[in-house]
Amino acid sequence: MSIVPKETIEVIAQSIGINNLSPDVALALAPDVEYRVREIMQEAIKCMRHSKRTTLTADDVDSALSLRNVEPIYGFASGDPLRFKRAVGHKDLFYIDDKDVEFKDVIDAPLPKAPLDTAVVAHWLAIEGVQPAIPENAPVEALVAPSDNKKPEHKEDGLPVDIKLPVKHVLSRELQLYFDKITELTVNKSDSVLFKEALQSLATDSGLHPLVPYFTYFVADEVTRGLNDFSLLFALMRVVRSLLQNPHIHIEPYLHQLMPSVITCLVAKRLGNRFSDNHWELRNFTADLVASICKRFGHVYHNLQPRVTRTLLHAFLDPTKALTQHYGAIQGLAALGPSVVRLLLLPNLEPYLQLLEPEILLEKQKNEMKRHEAWRVYGALQCAAGKCMYDRLKMFPGLLAPPARAVSRTNGRVIMTTPNKRKAGKDDMMQQPPVKKIATDGPMGIVPPISLPANMQGTVDGFPAASGQSNLGPSSSVQVTNDSISGSSGKREDDGRAAKMLTVLSQAWKEDVDAGHLLASLFELFGESMFSFTPRPELSFFL
Amino acid sequence: MEDEEIEKMVIAYLKKKGFKQTELALQEEQSKSSFASQTDPDKQILSVTESESGPAQYQDGYSKLRSWTYSSLDLYKHELLRVLYPVFIHCFMDLVAKGHTQEARAFFNSFREDHELMHLRDLQKLEGVLSPSHLEEMEFAHSLRQSKISIKMCQYSYELLVQYLQKSQSITILGIINEHINFEVSPGQPSTISDDADVVTLLGSSQDTSKLINQKEIRWGLLEDSLEERLEKAGALMSDSEKPEGETKEGEVEENKKKSVDGGKQGASVKKLKKDKVVGTTGKSIRSETNIVSMAPRVKPELSLPEIPTEVEHSILEDLRNRVQLGSLALPSVSFYTFINTHNGLNCSSISHDGSLVAGGFSDSSVKVWDMSKIGQQSDTSIMQGENDSASIEHLMGPEDGKRSYTLFQGHAGPVYSVKFSPLGDFILSSSADSTIRLWSTKLNANLVCYKGHNYPVWDVQFSPVGHYFASSSHDRTARIWSMDRIQPLRIMAGHLSDVDCVQWHANCNYIATGSSDKTVRLWDVQSGECVRIFIGHRSMVLSLAMSPDGRYMTSGDEDGMIMMWDLSSGRCVTPLMGHTSCVWTLAFSREGSLLASGSADCTVKLWDVTASTKVARTEENKSGAMNRLRSLKTLPTRSTPVYTLQFSRRNLLFAAGVLSKGV
Repeated sequence: MSIVPKETIEVIAQSIGINNLSPDVALALAPDVEYRVREIMQEAIKCMRHSKRTTLTADDVDSALSLRNVEPIYGFASGDPLRFKRAVGHKDLFYIDDKDVEFKDVIDAPLPKAPLDTAVVAHWLAIEGVQPAIPENAPVEALVAPSDNKKPEHKEDGLPVDIKLPVKHVLSRELQLYFDKITELTVNKSDSVLFKEALQSLATDSGLHPLVPYFTYFVADEVTRGLNDFSLLFALMRVVRSLLQNPHIHIEPYLHQLMPSVITCLVAKRLGNRFSDNHWELRNFTADLVASICKRFGHVYHNLQPRVTRTLLHAFLDPTKALTQHYGAIQGLAALGPSVVRLLLLPNLEPYLQLLEPEILLEKQKNEMKRHEAWRVYGALQCAAGKCMYDRLKMFPGLLAPPARAVSRTNGRVIMTTPNKRKAGKDDMMQQPPVKKIATDGPMGIVPPISLPANMQGTVDGFPAASGQSNLGPSSSVQVTNDSISGSSGKREDDGRAAKMLTVLSQAWKEDVDAGHLLASLFELFGESMFSFTPRPELSFFL
Repeated sequence: MEDEEIEKMVIAYLKKKGFKQTELALQEEQSKSSFASQTDPDKQILSVTESESGPAQYQDGYSKLRSWTYSSLDLYKHELLRVLYPVFIHCFMDLVAKGHTQEARAFFNSFREDHELMHLRDLQKLEGVLSPSHLEEMEFAHSLRQSKISIKMCQYSYELLVQYLQKSQSITILGIINEHINFEVSPGQPSTISDDADVVTLLGSSQDTSKLINQKEIRWGLLEDSLEERLEKAGALMSDSEKPEGETKEGEVEENKKKSVDGGKQGASVKKLKKDKVVGTTGKSIRSETNIVSMAPRVKPELSLPEIPTEVEHSILEDLRNRVQLGSLALPSVSFYTFINTHNGLNCSSISHDGSLVAGGFSDSSVKVWDMSKIGQQSDTSIMQGENDSASIEHLMGPEDGKRSYTLFQGHAGPVYSVKFSPLGDFILSSSADSTIRLWSTKLNANLVCYKGHNYPVWDVQFSPVGHYFASSSHDRTARIWSMDRIQPLRIMAGHLSDVDCVQWHANCNYIATGSSDKTVRLWDVQSGECVRIFIGHRSMVLSLAMSPDGRYMTSGDEDGMIMMWDLSSGRCVTPLMGHTSCVWTLAFSREGSLLASGSADCTVKLWDVTASTKVARTEENKSGAMNRLRSLKTLPTRSTPVYTLQFSRRNLLFAAGVLSKGV
């Protein structure tokens, strides 16, 4: 009959000490209780309106009660709207979560910040009917920029007090903790097992999207500050990779903030401050990262890849840049795919190699470090070119002119693959002197009689392990190249021969460049030679 | 008419000839026929007794009537639908009165949806009525049962209804219609649907008396010898002879312009003026003003008005000269004062006429006044305040941070519901839940007078356009007129059936308007204290009022966001202004009356073109259809800031104030 059920009346009666309220009385009281409650609410709404509010507060009810000469209900007044919680299992039953507070806690707690005092700020809502586009106005028609909004400017002082970024409120406590933990791990304990797990979590957790801007900012910030800290940079790049891997994160809007830091890790002059820092590895890693980003978001951001390649190409073509930067650029371009290499790298190869020559030669470059770097760059180029060629080959398998020969050789090679690898591994351990020897010896013997393919063979042979591996499994090529190069650079005596080889090489590449228009046939040859010749010297050698 | 004349002539003929028998017979026949014509269905229904009226009767009868109405002819349907609501609420109340509470509740719930659109608030009130004693106690229900509701209908709809009622023989419904509805049957076509807004509003007296009231004469013209007239006169004089003076005045104009740009400078000059003394009307000799031809009629003030000091008069005249002409093509500039960090405590605000001072009334009983001209230049503030307030106790220099940006007025013992600046900006009135009104001086920064008279919270207080007098409205259902020099009210206006929520002076100071929770607006004569107009049309509590500067129109805004524009002389609604989605807290006419600005809880300021509607209204006074809807010129959204106050400066710069609320 009444919204107030009989039971409520009974409960209230008991709470004030009337235990034996007869059901009839409760039943009769219920409608009256409802009426009184409505009456008070009606008055409360009036008070609310006169306080120029549209939400009813406990204060309004108190004022309404005092209008009726009823003692107000103490203990519920609050400046903020009350937070009601839904009672579990009931559709329209709500309650206010009223926690017990320990006196001790209250006493021990630091004094809360004093609330800011009320203030008035002025601005132009409209100037002759047109709303100026200033932060105080609602962001609607930002079309017309008014000429005279100087007045609002100088009164802005007080306003920022109250306007906070809305995004800050969105971040839950848990997310904040998570973020703090991850960043701490990244900065301090990037070697720990925990960090690996953190990366795993970053790559898989679904609720991390609100944190993306913070991570983006964090990465950008740390990269700019921590260029000398190799392990930090590597950890940051791992974080970026994990974020990219996460299928639940919508990272596109933040790419523009992320890319500069990533590119920095690729082509920066110095990464890490210690001699032992293996920044080459970091560059390789980052190159892969860049490539994966371009691959994934290239269709969304049409200018993403062009911009990246342009940046890298600039780094590559600028002779004043350090060799480390060149290395990064080459790796980056190589990772972007063989076609990029073919279109951008190969045409510039000849002049670049000329540039590189003095750095590689022992006579001209006395600085061991520099020479080492030069060899690295050289290796990277080699690897890129090799991959490019391999790709062409794969694209036009039918173009292999002498199929029969190829087949037979392939067979042979297949058989030989495993031992070759094993040998390579062994060679690594032995500082690769034999390989080197062959490498340098090989072309020497072959160059005079055979013209082009032979030369090519020579180039390939210069780093037999590298090319061979790259042909077989591109993924591992980088590693092997590095190893072989380190081996080669470690050896002094090779330098002379290496220089010689270089001339041969450059000649070969030149041929390639010149014959750019005859791509199909040339690559067939080219590829053929790569394809078939690569294993052969080793084959012959090891057998 | 012709028949009657013929009859008269016949009777006269018979008398003349001495045919007594025939004459008697004729008269008998006549009275019979006239009786037959008079025995309306109404009367028949009256005679029917409410014999068997079980609770089911109501439900049954109402649902039958409802389904019949809904299936009636489209042309007459909307008229017939109007009958449903009164029948519905009376059915419900009858059920309650007879103690069938359960059935009443069931009945109410099953049909309430039909009426929620139009009468939601009434239904909410009635919903709580659950016992006969509540009916007695609740004033709303009580007076509903006492009074009759009149419904306009065309002849044919009425006949349809009567036919139905006779056929259906549902006596309970017949009884209710008879008892509580008064049909105003008009011949001809049914009224258009746009007139459907005829609202069943509760009036203390019957509809007829309100009509009578609305027929009283209102002299809405402006005061004689107003400053505007003087300005025009001065302009005329200037053009003729006094050239040198004119030049100097122009120089002043420019200077003044500069002043007005940095805002508030003017206010400072105004504040220098002495407190104006109360003198009789004979301050300025009335000059002959034959050369001025003005549209509005002139009236003499009924109150003795205070004299305006000459300096103030000059500044006002300057402002009038420099006033920007606003219109649909020339929209005003709006300067917005945002209150921040109020912690939900600000109840009301007010802006002085020149925008230099802003006052806020808070729920912690305090009134705070900001001097906007000082806020721009914080460095000077302390020095200036030091000069001003050495004697003041009320003004507390915050010791912790050296200076406080406002002046604090403490004195009230309850939430402050209204603060208002006097027209010259030298006084502030504040009204509070402690049922008092206090007068503060902005020059002395001190409380001058505490006016006690109301018995309940005073919702609103308002200075008269010339100052000195003020009006207040309260929860005690009265509005009162006061003068600053007396602590007792001069007039008490009683008549509203619920809280009087807002009050506004007429431009000529002879009338005040009050808006109430009983959904009416009333106009009162200040001199006699009588109610001279009742404006019916709002569907919820009236929150704001504004009078046009020419004194002819009034606008009122309500809780639902509806604004209504009324013609004072006819008492009719010129046009409703729809657009706001929430409470209209404030309304303001531009100084020459061409624009209306409204501020609402939906965080917008809307500008309305008033000239368009009034012109239409003038030309075709009677056709108050959908034709002359007021044009909304512009909506200016604020940044989540409900607009509390709007005020046009004398030069037509619009000031607005509101509280930045994060929750919205």
